Amino acid sequence: MEMEELQATWTQMSEELDKQKRLTDKIILEMTQQKYKNKFHGITFYETIGAIICFAIALYLIFNFHRLDTWYLMLCGSITLVFILILPILTLRFLKKIKDVDISESNYKETLFQYTKAKNRLLFIQQFAFYASFAVMFTTLPVASKLLSNKDFFLMEKGLGLYAFIGVVLVFLFFFARWGYGCYKGVTSSAEDILRELE
Amino acid sequence: MDREDEFVRVIKKNEGVIFKITTIYTDNREDQQDLYQDIVYQLWKSFDSFRGEAKFSTWMYRIALNTALTHIKRNKRKGHSVAIDRVVLRQTELYDTVFEERVKILYGYIHQLNVLEKGLMLLLLEGKSYTEISDITGLTPSNVGTRISRIKTKLKSKIIKK
Repeated sequence: MEMEELQATWTQMSEELDKQKRLTDKIILEMTQQKYKNKFHGITFYETIGAIICFAIALYLIFNFHRLDTWYLMLCGSITLVFILILPILTLRFLKKIKDVDISESNYKETLFQYTKAKNRLLFIQQFAFYASFAVMFTTLPVASKLLSNKDFFLMEKGLGLYAFIGVVLVFLFFFARWGYGCYKGVTSSAEDILRELE
Repeated sequence: MDREDEFVRVIKKNEGVIFKITTIYTDNREDQQDLYQDIVYQLWKSFDSFRGEAKFSTWMYRIALNTALTHIKRNKRKGHSVAIDRVVLRQTELYDTVFEERVKILYGYIHQLNVLEKGLMLLLLEGKSYTEISDITGLTPSNVGTRISRIKTKLKSKIIKK
């Protein structure tokens, strides 16, 4: 098909569509009802629940921080605390940025730029979280061990069960992180191309 | 005529345009219906802010294209969805399978373009001038010209390959 043929097909199709009026007043008004959820409600809901859980754990950790009686446990506690406080805040913040893109006032280029940038940031932070979770797992374990059973993880005797548990979690994290990275790469590579084109 | 009636009238008048936008930005019928509803919803939300300073079609294309850009595929969320099965191109008594095939090929070409190119191609096929495309997209008219020329070259090479 040549360009002119594409144009002719498009015009003919438009005429056909104009003849096939199918929307009724009722369908149109139903589509405008407020019960239609914002498309980010789902994601925001789960992220908010996740953030609340993180903040609750952070509060527990802060109130029990004095029980971490060695420098290395304090260090592990601090790293865990930073991770579970900052990451949910950043995720919710970037989600808000995506939601704040004003599609009624901005033109196509601006919307594309703002949306792609916000999406890239959100995906980056998710990817960072996947990889950081490996490191944080090793700081969380000693803290949890100390606070929940008053045992120093670094000094206590470690049974086979514990190593097996750590192994299983690591394998799970590896595949989860790899899957997450795959998704991230797929979505952001095209998004980055567009951004590069616009900048 | 109140705002609601006025809105219903303009949506009815432009339902074909919304259909075409949803077709180029989605790859399955369910997602298309979802985007269709999203566009109508966004147009309704912004309808009061439309003061007639800009051309109506410019305003509508802008919101519809912006909504398509920020649309999340259906499987990533769960929201209320109004059944609009009948909004698709239907088989009529004069149904032409050759034409249907040509439409499929046309959409096939457009689907191979990136998100920005899809918007530009749609506006070009809709018969918009470079100035109008510039108003809708925010690109300068000369930039629009350059990009459209690139799209044409890209499409030509795809057509020759076939």
